[in-house]
Amino acid sequence: MTLTDILDRDLIKVPLEGRSKHEIIEELVDLLSQKKALTNREEILSAVLERESLGSTGLADGIAIPHAKTAAVDRVYLVVGLADTSVDFDAQDGEGSLYFFLVLAPEHEASAHIEILSSIAKTTASASFKRLLRLAKTSEDVYSLFID
Amino acid sequence: MSNGFTELLVYLDGSEDSMSAAMAAIVLAKQLESHLTAIYVVNTKALQDLVKARIFLDVEQQEYQRDIEGDAVRYLSHVKKLGKKKGVAVECVKSEGAVHQVVRDYISANSIDMLVIGGLSGIHSRRDELLSETDRMMRNATIPVFVVRDNDDIWDMYESLPDTEREDTYDID
Repeated sequence: MTLTDILDRDLIKVPLEGRSKHEIIEELVDLLSQKKALTNREEILSAVLERESLGSTGLADGIAIPHAKTAAVDRVYLVVGLADTSVDFDAQDGEGSLYFFLVLAPEHEASAHIEILSSIAKTTASASFKRLLRLAKTSEDVYSLFID
Repeated sequence: MSNGFTELLVYLDGSEDSMSAAMAAIVLAKQLESHLTAIYVVNTKALQDLVKARIFLDVEQQEYQRDIEGDAVRYLSHVKKLGKKKGVAVECVKSEGAVHQVVRDYISANSIDMLVIGGLSGIHSRRDELLSETDRMMRNATIPVFVVRDNDDIWDMYESLPDTEREDTYDID
């Protein structure tokens, strides 16, 4: 499994409206809950916040990959959001974060979860990809970066 | 010159596709009277990469590794039972590392002459970094690869084999 297997147009939001780490995470979880009619929004949010409390998932160069495994989902989901103003996500490089990839997986899909996180990490490590990401203005632009 | 397909290897990753591949491999092994090995590779390379990129904490790496090792034992045991039910002894191998490389090395070291894998990802992107492990496995294989799509026919083929339990079993390495 790779991220293009689960990338879903409905689960991409540009721009995000949140202005803090908590608001961004809530916004991504809300998008998932609404679009996929998931009824356990609180459980999902708690799982992500609990993982975040152990250490920030804000990486360098504006990328953040919040994630959690939770019984509140029945398959692996990827929610992508781009902010138009950088958000303090306690990132490794001390800079604000702009590009968010929320990954959620059920407990019995550890292998798939790892593969998805790994493919996001590899893709977002590419300088050319990051340049294109900076140019994306709509969710369709983001979708097209992965699916061509 | 090989004497046909005598050593089959099926790759498991816990997906439905890979379980279909296992059933197809059992059917093939029965019909061809081949030796069948099932392999599950704990992707420790990806786990290490995630820690290195600081996406994972050490504690997460350990937790996920435990989860995946548990999955490996569970799926391998299930496939062994599926084989036993149809009179096919399935040798089970649990390994770890970079998945497609471990499989490639196992093929080479054990004179495997056919690899059976579950469905490949659809073609969505030209980016190499978005290839799945099964995609990489197929592209790097030096032997014939049997790709199994998850569908009811495979289940029917498996079920149509007569049930014949056999006694010999293999331990998971």
